[in-house]
Amino acid sequence: MYRPALLLALCAAASAFQAPFLSSSSFRGASLAKGVTPAAPRARACGPMMGIKELRDRVTSVKNTKKITSAMRLVAAAKVRRAQDAVLKTRPFSETLQKVLGGLIQRLKKDNFDSPLMTERAVKKVLLVIMTGDRGLCGGYNSYAIKKAEGRIRELLAQNIEVDLVTIGNKGNQYFKKRYNVVNSYTIGNSPTADQATPIAQNLLATYLAGDADRVELLYTKFTSLISSEPSVRTMLPLSPTGIEAEGDEIFLMTSKDGSFGVERASSGKVEPQQFPKDMIFEQDPEQILSAILPLYFNGQILRQMQESVASELAARMTAMQSASDNASDLIRDLTRQMNRQRQAAITQEISEIVAGASSGAN
Amino acid sequence: MSIHISIIAPDRTVWDANAEEVILPSSTGQLGILKGHAPLLTALDIGVMRVRVDRDWTPIVLLGGFAEIENDELTILVNGAEEASQIDRDQAQRDLEEMTVKFNEATTNKERIEATQNLRKARARLQAVSA
Repeated sequence: MYRPALLLALCAAASAFQAPFLSSSSFRGASLAKGVTPAAPRARACGPMMGIKELRDRVTSVKNTKKITSAMRLVAAAKVRRAQDAVLKTRPFSETLQKVLGGLIQRLKKDNFDSPLMTERAVKKVLLVIMTGDRGLCGGYNSYAIKKAEGRIRELLAQNIEVDLVTIGNKGNQYFKKRYNVVNSYTIGNSPTADQATPIAQNLLATYLAGDADRVELLYTKFTSLISSEPSVRTMLPLSPTGIEAEGDEIFLMTSKDGSFGVERASSGKVEPQQFPKDMIFEQDPEQILSAILPLYFNGQILRQMQESVASELAARMTAMQSASDNASDLIRDLTRQMNRQRQAAITQEISEIVAGASSGAN
Repeated sequence: MSIHISIIAPDRTVWDANAEEVILPSSTGQLGILKGHAPLLTALDIGVMRVRVDRDWTPIVLLGGFAEIENDELTILVNGAEEASQIDRDQAQRDLEEMTVKFNEATTNKERIEATQNLRKARARLQAVSA
């Protein structure tokens, strides 16, 4: 979608942009059009008065930046819509899977089924999968996820448990590869597909089954609403039978109320486990069938979590760009007022000079 | 006079149509399904599924999953599925050779598990375009 050069320009523009907002003071000379690097924020009161022309230039440059941030907001909104469509497409799969899986687990409940994917082992090593975004400019999204991951890693290390990392998303990879042992890294993209999720799931399963890790944990950002989403850690392997049964399906929906975009969370309720007919033939042992289904379930879960994280990222970007645009409007208003005041002052001064000259001539 | 088949992958429905006869790659061998089959649940291996409409057989590569038959409704959930028409024969041949080499070179447990999976996928792909 973005060419790298363009993205770089955008980053520069927005970082030039955000600095003054954080310190809530004015800055000077960060003109996008001229490609000048962001100047240090300077408090309006202490700096020398800017001339009318300078002020006018700055208003123009802030206006340009505002155009970019609002465009980025719209782009993010369009992508949320696409991400939502992708989630809807996973419904038939997850619903059927949940039904059959629930039915099987109910049927097997009396016996003790032990699938290697469900057996708890003594934990010496944990594989932590971290999902972040590929890009920045989305508020605190990436840094929250990274902070949470750091916290979890420290917790585990404090318990003398080794940690290996798998990162999904460039930002996480950039941060963690210098600090910890990153075994594998993937990008997350804008709308994760099964083609992306399957190799990841396969790799995680292989790591777990080979005994290279005794538990697989996943850090993803749970999408709650446009303004809040929380990074959470969840154990993916070994799978717990209760977790599979109890889970309802939640999806996010894009809304456009009052002309502004919103995203809501909708729950489709719990899927009832399927009641198999009495004469149902189980071609293999139900246990064996279960162990064929569990990887599917795992695969679906990974895909789901990726989609969830992407939705959170896009929502975070929408919010960040919205507040950047709002700040730009404020800045434009202030600067324009300042400019008009100076213009008026200059006019007043000219008039009083003329009047003074005229009156001294008359005398 | 037919069974309804839907093949569902995690992110899309791959196939949704009627057919007269289906042969499934179950994990305990090939399994033929005709109309009026008793309700059945089976695990599927990585392999080739064949669907017959009239006299035409369509091979589809299934990447592991399970199938359920009830009232002439065949629901197949898989990790992934590919129609044979999307597979390039030479490419499949090369992939198989590459995977065989990888499989033989695998040293760690993890590599072996992954290589086995990939080898079976490559084999199924080639099988689908060969027959």
